[in-house]
Order: sequence, then structure tokens, then C-alpha cells
Amino acid sequence: MKKTFYLLIVIAVAVMVFGSSGSVLAASSLVVAQDVAPRMMNPHGDDSDAGLQYMANFFDGLLQRKGPDGTLAPALAERWERLDQLTWKFYLRKGVKFHNGNPFTAADVKFSFERLSNPDVSEFINTGKSIAGVETLDDFTVVIKTKEPIPWFANNMHQVFIMDKESTESRDPGDVMVKPIGTGAYKLVEWVKGSYVRMEANADYWEGAAPLKTVEIRPVTEASTRFAALASGQVDIVTGVPVELFDKIVTNPKLDVVSRPARRSIFLALNNKPGSPTADMRVRKAMYMAINEDEIIEKVMRGHAAPAAQIPDPPTIGYNGNIQRLKYDPAEAKKLLKAAGYENGFEITLSGPNDRYVQDAKIAEAVAKYLAKVGIKTKLDVKPKSIFFPEVTEGKLDFYLIGWFDGTFDMGRTYFKLAHTRDQESGHGVFNGAAFSDPDIDKLLQSTADIVNPQERGKVLQQLNKMAMVDKIAWIPLHYQEDLYAIQKGKGINFKPRPDRWMVYKEISK
Amino acid sequence: MATYIARRLIQGIVVLLVASLLCFIVFRFMGDPVVTLAGRYATFDQMEEVRRSLGLDKPVYVQYFRFLGNVAQGNFGISYVTRVPALGLILERFPATFELATTAVILSFVFGVALGVLVALKPYAVRNRLIMAGSLGGISIPTFLMGILLIMVFAVYLGILPPFGRGETTQVGFWRTGFLNINGIRHLILPAMTLAMYQLAVLLRLTRAGMREVLTEEYIKTAWAKGLPPRKVIFKHALRNALIPVITITGLQFGELIAFSIITETIFQWPGMGNLLLTSIRENDQPVIVTYIMLAAVVIITMNIIVDILYAVINPKIRYE
Amino acid sequence: MSKRRIKSRMLHSFLHDPSAIVGFVILVLFIAAASLAPLITPQNPYDLETLTLEHFLTPPIWMEAGQAPYLLGTDDQGRGIFSTIIYGCRTSLFVGFSVVLIAGTFGVIMGLLAGYYGGWIDAVTMRLADTLFSFSTTLLAFLFLGISGGGSILIVILAICIAGWVRYARTMRGSVLEVKENAYIMAAKSTGAGDFRLLVRHLLPNAIPPIFVVLAIDLAVVIMLEATLSFLGVGVPLTEPSLGMMISIGKNYIYAGMWWMIVFPGAALILLVIGINLFADWLREELNPKIQRKA
Repeated sequence: MKKTFYLLIVIAVAVMVFGSSGSVLAASSLVVAQDVAPRMMNPHGDDSDAGLQYMANFFDGLLQRKGPDGTLAPALAERWERLDQLTWKFYLRKGVKFHNGNPFTAADVKFSFERLSNPDVSEFINTGKSIAGVETLDDFTVVIKTKEPIPWFANNMHQVFIMDKESTESRDPGDVMVKPIGTGAYKLVEWVKGSYVRMEANADYWEGAAPLKTVEIRPVTEASTRFAALASGQVDIVTGVPVELFDKIVTNPKLDVVSRPARRSIFLALNNKPGSPTADMRVRKAMYMAINEDEIIEKVMRGHAAPAAQIPDPPTIGYNGNIQRLKYDPAEAKKLLKAAGYENGFEITLSGPNDRYVQDAKIAEAVAKYLAKVGIKTKLDVKPKSIFFPEVTEGKLDFYLIGWFDGTFDMGRTYFKLAHTRDQESGHGVFNGAAFSDPDIDKLLQSTADIVNPQERGKVLQQLNKMAMVDKIAWIPLHYQEDLYAIQKGKGINFKPRPDRWMVYKEISK
Repeated sequence: MATYIARRLIQGIVVLLVASLLCFIVFRFMGDPVVTLAGRYATFDQMEEVRRSLGLDKPVYVQYFRFLGNVAQGNFGISYVTRVPALGLILERFPATFELATTAVILSFVFGVALGVLVALKPYAVRNRLIMAGSLGGISIPTFLMGILLIMVFAVYLGILPPFGRGETTQVGFWRTGFLNINGIRHLILPAMTLAMYQLAVLLRLTRAGMREVLTEEYIKTAWAKGLPPRKVIFKHALRNALIPVITITGLQFGELIAFSIITETIFQWPGMGNLLLTSIRENDQPVIVTYIMLAAVVIITMNIIVDILYAVINPKIRYE
Repeated sequence: MSKRRIKSRMLHSFLHDPSAIVGFVILVLFIAAASLAPLITPQNPYDLETLTLEHFLTPPIWMEAGQAPYLLGTDDQGRGIFSTIIYGCRTSLFVGFSVVLIAGTFGVIMGLLAGYYGGWIDAVTMRLADTLFSFSTTLLAFLFLGISGGGSILIVILAICIAGWVRYARTMRGSVLEVKENAYIMAAKSTGAGDFRLLVRHLLPNAIPPIFVVLAIDLAVVIMLEATLSFLGVGVPLTEPSLGMMISIGKNYIYAGMWWMIVFPGAALILLVIGINLFADWLREELNPKIQRKA
């Protein structure tokens, strides 16, 4: 009895020592640990960037955005024109085949767009419902009519992926959710949920076969575990490096950091209901000045953020380089509060997500701390995004933290969702969670709806931007995040991050 | 006996109904899933349309009865997050959880009982004290802390065991197993140890206490006096009697096992059912949450009935009317 | 045996059992430290007005980058580890004692009634207790807090009480059944004592000793449960100190070599629970008649 016991222990130790390597690094050209797992292989079912990036490898849209600048380029459509305010014409590429051999034609485009408004399979409800009709003039020409003028329509085409009509209709809906059949640069080899996604390059890809033959993606949601995978050599690239581990990577001779400023800006929204403290411009200004954003960037974001004075980022139409941040000045803030009649401060609740943005809960804690120092007693209410975002759409919050970036590079779309007064009929202001309402902003914003020329749009939107940030302090901007990645040095990995944080593997080589 | 089982089954069904009804009521107060389902840019009207098409605009009791009707046909709803049937989604992960839980249970049972017997029978001072001290530590360290400490020691500082995931697995028919290759087994070691530790310590102490009690009983002494070899005495009488409370407790603690496996799976990112539950709660994936709770209830109720039957078999003095 | 003799025998046994004394002392020390928290800590780490991000992620004071007055280092929001541990123990003990008080009282009452009256009260109570028990306190508390979103210390306490009363009820009922038939009770009954009087003045004191063991063990279990729930993020809210929450934060930094956020709170938690368990062990031995004691 005793002997077998000790023998078992010896065997156990042997297993631990000898089974040292056991990783499948050799099998795949590239192994990546991504911070988000794919929810499904249905390209319309998840409208988050985290999900779309997986789909971008298996599917193509009519257009694509090429990294590292994110410029709009042809994909399944070779060129396109805007015929009038409501009509867009796309000339499709010939000779493209789906992964199952079916030829790509206009019928597939029509099918894909019509699928968007079906809530059972799509989260692109808004895009789907805003289309009046899709006409196939011939096998390779498509005309799409929208119900109302949508100036940024083409800018969105990189997110709408084209599915194969024949196989999607003939397959079991469950199968459509797990096996992607697209025209993309990669074909799915195996998807073990919660463990890995393995894919191989599509040799017949219309743009030419991708340089990396096989790719394995391991979704690891825990940041520190991702780092461990990289440090132990199990993966080549890691996305979403947590800011606190950044220094560790920089000092590690085997690892390299790749970073780029993110497009997402983080800001605070305040309500301006008559009678509430935050309706007074002085109070809003005071709160803005009470927050030590530089310290937040230095300590909470560990230097990996850039101060923001507005919501859109530089490449976006509507970005106004003349807008400056208000300086950090708690003494002045206290004076303003006193002038507004709040010498002893007031109470307010700060809501926010705790699982969505980099250090979101920590930023909220820091903000609460700074406000407390000028007398504003802030109660924290952070919760998972699945509960927080619905609260935002209900419009009953007083004060919350949120981030945003718009894939269409156009501020107008963002503002209709965030700044416009909440309006059931027109559907504006859905994400205006504090029910901020300003008639001047509404009017100017509505005037941009018909302007399609980008230069003209830019002028008006910049004006609107300035009004919102400087005159009205519609929001208190904090910073732009930084996208951090880490790679193994010495393997010749050629990786340039995209502005939308998508991992598109045909753009990576070794 | 048959009527007893039937009665227990009916009670079980009542529990299932109550549990699922409670879920539906609580969901009312949670976040609205329609917001995420309709996409970021949906208008109010579009959200209402989605709400109507999913039947989420109906009052609670209507939704609940529709749910029950579907369940009777084997349809537990479609996951909001992954748009596939909730039941299949959960069962897909069953092999992972099963392998982890079974390994842990076997570990804790074998080592817990063996050490407990050892300590009760062979009172060698230093070794006993060490083992008992270890068991005290075992019941004083919560599972999550044990997991993190094991990760720190074996994965971060010593670097000899992997800290997360299941590693390489092989598909055998419909079952995805990690037992068939070294990589999979190595990934199983730390999570299984974490899950097993607390129960091991509890069983150790329980066995020791039980053995000590039984060994002082008269009939043991009689057997010794009669000249029966000690080993026979121990295994036939003492152990069997000491094991009764051990088995009852292990069998009835399934709720604990499920809870602790959720914790372990979270810490080690083990792709099992518990991990899925946690992410579903975060994502507000209501169909999956309800289905998981009902499945857990079914498992627990079944285990209870099995334990009751076994208990009656072992101990003929018990009769169920 | 008269009550006085029982008490003095227990005291004698306690004073001669080193592990019991150690356990008791540990518990008392923790309670004292937690009560005197504002006096012995350099800062209240959860008071937003005094918190600065100034010294964050500093190691313990004996290491190179250590900073006074942060004895054991700081976390990523600049909170001193030592201060957080003391305040965290306050939360742990508060939750522990509250649950024991609430669930214990409720459980004892239910057990008393079930054991005394029998019949349908007994059947319903025990059925409910069995069902709740098989789901386990941990699972029920976790599900309740996870789905409802939690939000305050009180809700955490309530969540643990959902199934927390079961052990008390079961033990009390068993004890009442044993004691019910003894001569003293029968005598009191025959003199026409009313039910209430019987229950409270006679049954309760005689049946209650085993409850003390349950109480002690339960305290340890609840403290570990609170830490677990807070670690998972469904326990005490962000703005309240908790050992589990501290460990959860520290977990993200172990790969960066910052071990102090886990080791110190972890050690404190383990020590507290060991102390309670040592005392509980002694208590159980004392009140368990089956094992023959050395004279």
C-alpha cells in the first residue's frame, strides 16, 4: 500500500517534468492570444468590433478598410458611385468564389443585405431597416436605395459582410452559426469554443493568398493570463496588453511592444435637466476642472493614453484641432461651485461599466476621488456592460463614464446617437443616457443630415463640435486610449496595428 | 419504495418550477437584453420591433408559460449571445467540467480517506501532526485563494505547469477529452488540485473522526479479542461504518461541487459549464442562465435521490414509506 | 451535572489545550484590530477624500522601492495594503457575525418549532431545509448575487442567509428531539407549563449546546464565502474594503512580480479562519460525548 503510494507520486512528478513543451506552436505559422472570443461564425450576428474582426478573416464586405490607416478601399465591389441622396451603386468584382466553390454574384449581396433586418440572426438592425431596397441590375451590379439620406453609407460597407445565399439558406441555422462560408482570405479549420480557432489561408483568394498559411487564435479573456502565455513562448502575438504589465514587457529582452493611439475616446456625460446642479454651466466647468486628467493618464492608464478635448479623433470628419482642454484647477473649481451656490458641494452618482474599456472602473474611482476633493460627494455605481448599456439607452442616468468610436469616421452619426435630444419618433439620442438636451445643438446637427459632401460636412461638424465642447460642455472629455500589443522578438513578425483594433491576418506576415 | 421515489421526483419538479420562475422574476430587474441584441445604432422603434419579435414585450407570466411549454418539448431557448440553442451550448461544455470534477472528486476521496485512515490507525506523532496541520490549512484556505497560490507557485515562479486552459484535447465521438495526451493532463493538474483540496481536507478529518469513534466501539474490541487479523477488522467493520457519513456528505454536497467548480473554472479559464455561467451572467444571456440553473437543479435532485437509495441499501434499518 | 461544574470543567480543558488558546487569541486579536481600525492604521483606504494616487503599486517597506508609511505596500489605487487588510477584516467579521446572528436565530427558532411540534411544521421546514442544503449556501448566494447584481453589504448578508440557516435548524431540531423526552422537560410539562414557556425556558437552554459548535464553524465558513463572493466580483461593492476584492485586484499583478497584494491579504484571511477553526475544533471535542477522553 505504501509502496504503490510512493510510486504514484514518482509517476506524477515524471509527468510534470517530462511533459514540458507540448504546445502546438510548430503546427501553425502564427499563434495569437486575443482578448475577446468570437461569439459565433455568423457575420451579422455581432455588431461589436471584437466580433467583426474575426469575421473579417472569413468574409469580405463590398468594401474594406486597409490597415494601418484604415482607408476605405474596394473589396467585393470594384468601384461605387452615389447616384443621388438616396441611391448607391456598386460594381461587383468578377470571378470570386466562396469557400465552398459557389460563385459570388449580386444575388448574394441582395441576400446578405436583406438578412440584416432579421432580428433572429442579425444585430445590424438599424443598417438593415434603413435600406429601402436592393436591386440587382445584373449579376455584377447592385443598386441600394436608402429610406433617408445617409451620408456615411459607403463608409459603413466594410462592416457588412457578404454571405453565400445558397448555402446559408440550405443549411441548418445552427450550422450557419458555427461554420462560416465566405469569400475571405482564410477558411475555418476548427473552432473549439473556449479554446482556439484554427484557420488556413484561402489559396484562391481574389487578392492573392495571404502570406501566413495557418493561424491559430486562442481567446484568453484574463489579461494576466494572456501575458503569461506570451512570456512562456506559447503565443507569438498578444492583443490587449494590460497597462500594468507594459513595463514588464518592455524590460523583457524576448518581447516587443507594439502600440498605436486608439480611436476610442473616453468621456463623462452629464445631464442638464433644469433644476439639477449640473444644469448650471459653472458647475459643469467646475467638474471639468476638478479632474486631474494628467494624473489619471499617468497613474491609472500608466501613461498609455492621450488627453482628449473632444470625442472624435483626428482622422474623423468633424474633428476640430482648435478645441483645447480646460486646465486642472481645483481651486478655481471650488470658486465656481461657490458662485453657483454649491459651496458645500452636492451629491451625485457616477455610473459606468467595469468590463468594457481599459481601466474603466479604476478611472471612475479616480474621478470620484477628485470630485470628492472639491466637495462633490460622488457615489460609484459600476456594473457589467450588459446591465450598464441598457441603462444608458433608458436615459435615466445623471452622470456616467462611457467610450465611443465610430467606424465610419464621421462625427455626425455619433452625435445623432449621443448628443441629440432623445426622440422616440426619429430614434435619435438612443445613447444619450443622461438625457442631455440642447436645442441649438439639435438644430445644427439636423442641418447636417442632408449634406453629403465631406468638405462641407467637415465645416459644419467642426462648428458643431466646438459649440458642444466649449460653449455647452456637453461632455467632459478624458482621453483617447492606446492600443497595446506585444509580440515575440526575433521571429520576424511583421505586424502593424489597425486603427479599429481588428486583427486581420492577411495583413500580417512573418 | 417506488412511491417514495415518485414522491421525491414530484418534489424535484416543484423545485425546478420554483427555481425557473424565480429566475424569470429576477430577470425583470436586470438589464434589458434587447439593447445589445438590436445593435448599437438601433432607434427606439427598431428596439421595440426586436422586443416584439422575441416575445419580450409580453408580461412575465406569459413569457414564463411559453418557456415552460417550450421546455416540455425540449427547447430551452436560444442564447442571446451566440444565437444557438442554450441547452446544446451548455452540454457542449459538459465533458470539460465532468473531467475536471470527476478527477477532483476521485483525488479528494482517495487521498482524503486514505490519509484519514492512516492518521487514525498509525499514531506516529510527527507525521500525524503534519497531516492534521495540513488538513487544517486545507479547510481554512478558500478555493479561489488555493487556486491563485498554486498558480503563483507552480506557474509563475517555478514555471513547470500551465496556468490556464485545457490544452490539447482529442475528440472521441461526441466527447472532447483531455485525458488522451500529456498536454491535456498537464493542464488538468492545477485545476483538479484546487478543486480537490477543500473536500480532501474535509474528508480526511471526517474519516479520522469516524474511524476513531468506531475503533472504540465494543464490537471492534471483541473482534480483536477473538483473534481476527487487524486488517480484516479495519476494512470490514470500521471503515465501512465510518464511510457512511462520508458517502452521504459527498453525495449531498453536489451543490458545493458545482459552486466550487464554477470558481475553479473561472480562475483557470477552464472551458466548462461553470465558466459559461459566469460569462452568461456578465453578458445577461438569460436563456443560458435559466437553463444552467435548471440543469444544476436536475443534477442535484437526482444525486439526492441516488444517495437516499444507496443509503437505504447500505443500511437496511431505514425504510421509506 | 450542574451547570457550574460543566463550565469549570470546560474552562479547565480550554486552558490546557494549547491549540484552543491559540485559536481564541487569534480571533480576539482580529476582532480588536478590526474594531480599533481608525486608530491603528495610517489611513482609511476607502475614504475617497484622503486617497491619492501618489504612491501606487509600491512594494512593502523593507524592499527597495518601499515607501513609509505603507508598511506592506500599496495597491494600484494607492491604498495601503496594511490598512486595507484591517478594514477588510472589519467587513469580513461584520458579515460573518451578522450572518451567524440572523441565520442562527432564524435557524434555531425553526429547529425548535420543528422539533417540538413535529407534524407538518416539521415536514415543511425539513423539506425546505433539505432542498436549500443540497443546493449549498455557496451556489445559492452566488446565483442570487450574480443575477440580481448585488450592490451592498446587506444584500450580501441576506444572500448568504438564504441557505445559511439550514445547519442551525437541523442541529437544533436533532437536539430538541433528543432532549424532548428527558425527565426534566416532562416534569415541567406535567406542571401545566404553557408551550412558549416550555420552549424558551426549558427546551432552548438544554438543546442549545451543539449550536455553539455550528456557530463557530459557520463563522469561518461565512468569512471564506464573503471573500470568495467578493473575489468573483459579486460580493461587497467596489467602494467597501474586502480581503477577497484585494486578492482579486492583486491577481492581475502576479505576473508583473507584485506579489504583496495577494500574499498579505491571503495570509490574513487564512490566519483568521485557522484561528476560528482551531477554536471550533476544541469546542466540538468538548461537546461531543462519543469520544472517550483521557482522564
